[in-house]
Amino acid sequence: MAILETKNLSKAFGALAAVDDVSLGIEAGTLHSIIGPNGAGKTTLFNLLTGTYLPSAGRILFDGRDITGTPAHRVAHLGLARSFQRTNVFPAFSLLDNAWVAAFACGPSWEGLLWRRADRYPEVKARALAALADVGLADKAGKPVREISHGEQRQLELAIALAAAPRVLLLDEPAAGLSPEETRKLVALVRALKGRYTIVLIEHKMDIIMSVSDRISVMHFGSLIAEGTPAEIQKNPEVRRAYLGGVAA
Amino acid sequence: MKKENILLLAAVLVLPLVLRPAIASEIWIFAIFGLGLNLLLGYTGLLSFGQATFFGSAAYVAGWLLKHYGISVFLALGTGVFVGAASAALVGYLCVQRSGLYFIMLTFALNQLFYFVAYQWTSVTGGEDGMPGIPRPAFLGIDFNDPFAYYVFVSALFIVSLWIMRRIVESPLGKILQAIRENEVRAEAVGYDVARFKLAAFVIGGAFSGAAGVLYAMLFGIVPLEAIGFVTSGNVVFATLIGGSGSLYGPIIGSFVFIWLSESVSTLWARWPLLLGVAFVIVVLFLRGGVVEAWSRFWSWRSSKPKT
Ligand SMILES: Nc1ncnc2c1ncn2[C@@H]1O[C@H](COP(=O)(O)OP(=O)(O)O)[C@@H](O)[C@H]1O
Ligand SMILES: [Mg+2]
Repeated sequence: MAILETKNLSKAFGALAAVDDVSLGIEAGTLHSIIGPNGAGKTTLFNLLTGTYLPSAGRILFDGRDITGTPAHRVAHLGLARSFQRTNVFPAFSLLDNAWVAAFACGPSWEGLLWRRADRYPEVKARALAALADVGLADKAGKPVREISHGEQRQLELAIALAAAPRVLLLDEPAAGLSPEETRKLVALVRALKGRYTIVLIEHKMDIIMSVSDRISVMHFGSLIAEGTPAEIQKNPEVRRAYLGGVAA
Repeated sequence: MKKENILLLAAVLVLPLVLRPAIASEIWIFAIFGLGLNLLLGYTGLLSFGQATFFGSAAYVAGWLLKHYGISVFLALGTGVFVGAASAALVGYLCVQRSGLYFIMLTFALNQLFYFVAYQWTSVTGGEDGMPGIPRPAFLGIDFNDPFAYYVFVSALFIVSLWIMRRIVESPLGKILQAIRENEVRAEAVGYDVARFKLAAFVIGGAFSGAAGVLYAMLFGIVPLEAIGFVTSGNVVFATLIGGSGSLYGPIIGSFVFIWLSESVSTLWARWPLLLGVAFVIVVLFLRGGVVEAWSRFWSWRSSKPKT
C-alpha cells in the first residue's frame, strides 16, 4: 500500500506551473527517487508534501489520510521529515543541539516544556545522539556547526531529519555540492538507511539514483513523464530524450 | 554557588549602601524589565520596540487599583503581571506574523497607539501630568514607605524573577526560542509552530515588563506619561544591548550601567545621553555581546597571558 500519495497535485507560481498535475504513490519501505533537470519542480513537490506551500489544486494522502493544507509544523508530527537542498541548520548550536531540537519536537511528550531543564530529557538526548551516530557524527556532537566541514554539514542536515524518528524521509539532493569522495560516503549512508525508513530521494546524479533506487519517477517541466524501476527508466525513450540525453546516451 | 550568583548577591547587599535606595531599587526594577525584553531580543531574535506598552499598561491599571481601592502590594503585582501578559498577547498576536523591519515598526506603532490612549484619557491616566498619589500599602506590618523596606521587597522580587527566567531559558522552551532565532524555517519544519512560540515569548516578556511597571509606579508614587512612551521602550533596548543581549545577565548589567549613568552623571552633566550614545556605538561596532562579552574577553585574555 502506498504510504504517501498525491492526487493531481499542482502548484502554480503566477503563470508558471512548477508542479503540474502530479499523481504519485510511494510504497512503504521503498526508496523512491525523483529525478529531473534543474527547475523541474522537485523541490516544490517536497514543499507541497511537507505543507510548506499550499497546493493550487490536488490532494496529498499520508497513510490514507488527507493531509492537504496541513501546516508544516503539524506535518512533521505526522512522521514526515525532510532534509533541505541548501543546508538549513541552526548555526550557533552544537551538533547535538541541532538534533536535539528535532528530537524534542517529535518526542512523546512536551511535559516540562517551561520549567524542566533541557538537559533532563535523557530519552530525547539519546535519540539525538543516535541520529548523529547514524550519519557518522557522534564524535563531533559537542562541536558548534561552524567548526565542521561542508560535507559534515550535509550529514548534519540528514541527522536533523532522522532525529524526528520519522516514518517517511524526504531527502532533497543530500549530496548537493559534495566532492566525489564525500558523495560516495553519503550514498553509503543513504543505502544504510534504506529499509529502516520509507525514503523519497531527490537527486540528479544518475549513478547514485540507478544504484540505490527501488523505483524512479521522472519530472520534467512540473509533470511526471515516467515512472518505473531503474532498468525501465534507463530504457524509456522519452526519458532519454528529456533528461538522460546528454548524460547517458 | 556560581560566580555570577555570588556577584549578584553582593551587589544586592552593597548597592543600597553606596547609592540612594530609590536608585538601587530602580536598577533592579529596570533589570526585571530588561530580562523580559531579552527573552524576545536575545533569545528569540525579535527586536520589540514597544515594551513600554506592557510596562505602562500594567503601571496604570495596578496604579489605579492601588490608588482607588487600596489593594495590597502583592495583588498589585499580580495585576501588573496579568496586564503585562495580556497586553503583550494582544500586541504579539498582531506582530508575530511580520518579520524584520515591519515587525519592529509594528511594535513601535502599537506602542504609540497605547501612548495616545494614555495621553487622551486624562480622567484616568492624568494625561501629561501623569497619575500621581500611588501608595505603597503596608503588608503584614511592613511599612514599604521606608525606602529600605521597599528596596528589600524589590530586590527579592528581582531575584525571584531572575530565577524564573533562568528556568525558562534553560528549559526546552528556551532552546526552541533560540532555534527560532537561529533558523525560523527549519524550526517550523522540525515541528514547531513558530508563531505560537513567538507569542509565548511575548506573553512571558510582557509579564516581566508588567511586574517592573507596577514596582516602578510604587517606587515613584506616580505613573508618568513617559512610562508608556517610546523613550521607555528605547531605553530598555538600549540598556539590554549595552549589557549584552546574548546572555541572561546582560540586561542586568545594562540596567546597572544605564540607571547609574542616568541618575548620577545626569546631575553633573546635562548632555549625559551623549555618553550613552558613545557606549552604544562602541557596542554596535566592536562588542556585539555588550559588557558581558567585554568581561569574558578580558578574562580569557588574562588567563591566556603567559605567567612571567
Ligand atoms: N517560491 C517560488 N516562487 C516563484 N517561483 C518558484 C518558487 N519556488 C520555485 N519556483 C520555480 O518553480 C520551478 C521549479 O523549481 P524547483 O522546484 O526548485 O525545481 P527543482 O528542485 O526541480 O530544481 C522553477 O522554475 C523555480 O524558479
Ligand atoms: Mg531543487
